[in-house]
Amino acid sequence: MSSFLECIGVGKIYEGKSGAVEALRGIDLQCDTGEFVCLLGLSGCGKSTLLQLIAGLEPATSGTIAINGKALDGPSAETSIVFQDHGLFPWMNVARNVEFNMKARGVTGKERRARAAEFLAMTGLSAFHDRYPHELSGGMRQRVGIARALTTRPRGLLMDEPFGALDARTRGNLQEELLRIWETQRTTIVFVTHSIDEAVFLADRIAVFSARPGRISTIVNVDLPRPRDPNAPRFTELARMLRAELAPNLHGAPL
Amino acid sequence: MRVPAFRVFGLLPLLLLLAAWQIAVVAGVYPTVLLPAPAAVIAAFAQNWPDILANAGASVTRVIVGVGIAFCVAVPAGMLIGRYRALDRVTDWSIQIFRSVPPIALIPLAILFFGIGDRPAIILIFLAALWPLLINTIFGVRGIDRTMLKVARAARAGEWLIFVDIILPAAMPSVFTGLRLAIGGGWLTVVTAEMIAVKSGLGYMILTAQLTFQSQLIIAGIIVIGAIGLLADQGTRLLRARVCRWQEGLIAQAE
Repeated sequence: MSSFLECIGVGKIYEGKSGAVEALRGIDLQCDTGEFVCLLGLSGCGKSTLLQLIAGLEPATSGTIAINGKALDGPSAETSIVFQDHGLFPWMNVARNVEFNMKARGVTGKERRARAAEFLAMTGLSAFHDRYPHELSGGMRQRVGIARALTTRPRGLLMDEPFGALDARTRGNLQEELLRIWETQRTTIVFVTHSIDEAVFLADRIAVFSARPGRISTIVNVDLPRPRDPNAPRFTELARMLRAELAPNLHGAPL
Repeated sequence: MRVPAFRVFGLLPLLLLLAAWQIAVVAGVYPTVLLPAPAAVIAAFAQNWPDILANAGASVTRVIVGVGIAFCVAVPAGMLIGRYRALDRVTDWSIQIFRSVPPIALIPLAILFFGIGDRPAIILIFLAALWPLLINTIFGVRGIDRTMLKVARAARAGEWLIFVDIILPAAMPSVFTGLRLAIGGGWLTVVTAEMIAVKSGLGYMILTAQLTFQSQLIIAGIIVIGAIGLLADQGTRLLRARVCRWQEGLIAQAE
């Protein structure tokens, strides 16, 4: 399999007024095409920072990030990002929000509308195309965010705690839908989360972060068949192992 | 947006003033040459309405032109200054200095340069309207949700699309706040300017009425000024509610 994403020795230092803060150090990570990788860690461990770097929104201080073998220089045309606070435009209705990423790429109006309809159907939003974001529930807003990200047919989908603000049931539904979309679209997904159960349910591999400075302490293969049952013994065993892996961070480090 | 019935109670102080006025006239507190009876003012309306209408038209036209030009200058300039830090650093102090100068203080200079007529009046209104519009536009652009800008950047949107689809609509509520202040300021300025620099308009009418001891016409003029001020303000509010309809839900949610 070819590698879609490759991070080699990535570091990030923020120069602040009270001195420099090292957010990331020596990150080595590669994701194969079509793979689902979770970045798991507690808040402040740098996992979201790494995603911002992969999205090309900020430059790395050291190391290199390559997508499809091409070194990153700003946002790549092959990736799309979904944020926790969805970033929908409140003055646009659902259809126009979903069309925005295509508009940014210069896709023609007719093609935009056709593709928007396709992805609204895929995310179960067809009936809501003329609603405004404030008329939607949190889960539906995030579906719009996902539909918008998919419209450019990205080979990589970057997700920054997309379900973090949702209630447990909505979260479960969206996780299952995301897996369905992932299986039909064959995209590579890099998914940031602080939830162990979410990571075990979704990922092929989990990169576990430790904080100060942020680095990957271990990478765990999730050798569970899909669809996964959170009550299966192997599931709980993996979850317990990951909890232990995260535990050292709980001591000493302020949260 | 409908005006709730209780809003009408906002006229209560005015009615009390009217009653006190009638009582003062009946009691003979001031000679009627200075303080005419409300009935005399109504008669002045009936007698002079073509004149009053023409002067009101002249004043309103000046404000529309002055505020209109200020709008066309301030909104694009404010969007650029709000978006680009460097522009802000270069202009900030100058804006603060200029906006502290009341436009009325510039009347003598305006007359020296442009003589008596429409030009100095419109320039003064322009200056009165420019600063609130500029400052509120800048403020509106600064308040944009960072995630929305990240979405745009990750989608590789061009600057033009970012301005038209994101920055302008996001700043719109604040632009309308500026517009209300600008119309109010412009209206105050036009009356003053007309007393000195022009030979038509409500300000000019009031001043000539004073010179000919027609206090009923002075009071009639003041009533027209107040009524137009109220109409303009309510009109701007209605327009804002239309243009920024998407905001209603957000405000309701926040409450």
